[in-house]
Amino acid sequence: MSETFDHNGLPDDELLAAELALGVLEGAERATAERRATRDRGFARLVEDWEHRLAPWAAEIAEISPPPQVWERISSALPAQPSRAGLWRNLTFWRGASLAAGALAAACLAALLYFGVFIQQQPLVATIEGGGQRHFVATIDSGRGTVAVVPAAFSPDATRVPELWLIPPDGRPRAVGMLHADQTVVLTLPPELAALAKNNAVLAVSLEPPGGSTTGLPTGPVIATGKLTSL
Amino acid sequence: MNLDANRSLIAAALGRIPAGDRAALQTVYRLTSAKLFGVCVRILGERAEAEDVLQEVYVTVWRKAADFDASRASPMTWLIALARNRSIDRLRASRVSRNMDPIDSATEVADMAAAADTALESVQEHARLHGCLDGLVSHERAALRGAFFDGNTYDDLAKRMNVPLGTMKSWIRRAMIKLKACLEQ
Repeated sequence: MSETFDHNGLPDDELLAAELALGVLEGAERATAERRATRDRGFARLVEDWEHRLAPWAAEIAEISPPPQVWERISSALPAQPSRAGLWRNLTFWRGASLAAGALAAACLAALLYFGVFIQQQPLVATIEGGGQRHFVATIDSGRGTVAVVPAAFSPDATRVPELWLIPPDGRPRAVGMLHADQTVVLTLPPELAALAKNNAVLAVSLEPPGGSTTGLPTGPVIATGKLTSL
Repeated sequence: MNLDANRSLIAAALGRIPAGDRAALQTVYRLTSAKLFGVCVRILGERAEAEDVLQEVYVTVWRKAADFDASRASPMTWLIALARNRSIDRLRASRVSRNMDPIDSATEVADMAAAADTALESVQEHARLHGCLDGLVSHERAALRGAFFDGNTYDDLAKRMNVPLGTMKSWIRRAMIKLKACLEQ
């Protein structure tokens, strides 16, 4: 991070974070600063600190109840309740996105599904997405205690690597293992994690230093999440 | 309602969203939508567009609730920043700044207005920020207000206050430096 100081006495990064949080930037300057906040955790924290300093000002803005149709529109914009049809619609969508990797993922998923049905196990599937993109597709074989993760449209970061987390309804992320940007990874779930890998638990991917988070919790940004759904 | 109870209700509901709990999103909406709609209307100056942006904000909350870190941020700070950012994005995309009446810092009157509501943010935090804003020169405070409440850019503010762009940048930067120092005392 840059440590040069402005003549006014705040580091450049801190001023940029303040300008982004206040909202005075426009055009390319705003876009660049926003992009940086999604990639640079230290900078994102500076922005959050400024948002925190300014937010109490919003107490002066009068509340206005939105008309009831706004909630109806939000509710209908959410993804459909998990169902076989809903998942296949999703699959069709990301295959249609003409991603070679996506098509590969679909093929793997179909194979896993086939074996899942064959051995009478109910596989759990999660489409792990974020920022409008499907990054990985994960399939959990509860019988074998494994999770297979196929990259779809994941673009690697120069310095950080993707790590997979399982988040059960208690909200505490459990580290599962490191993923790969361009090959399928099969990770073993220890029994205590396999027991938590149920319908509605969430799989999340964060960006971590090589080797993974050493704190037991995500240290980098969570870039994608997906709910486990049984097929 | 007890302020802390409300805050923790919102935080707890946000925490249930990543597991796909729609009722949790509805709880967040019920507790916060009037405040966030007020923010969107204030910045966009127009209800129909504010309704669109409010919809985007809660769909984003649904998708990104896992990013909210209750140990670092208050839920209202996170939500207000989201509503302001989405409203400003919309304002910039339309390339029309709506709130462009000239600002005369000598006649600012509403500046020290009491909080319109205190249900969601702590009264002390608002009082503290106000104390620090009081310490700014009036033109610095007026410029920050234009940015925060009207979504103005540096360029908009320079026009509204009839000063060169460079002057506006140094006013805002100096104001932010003083504000930070005061809030950290």
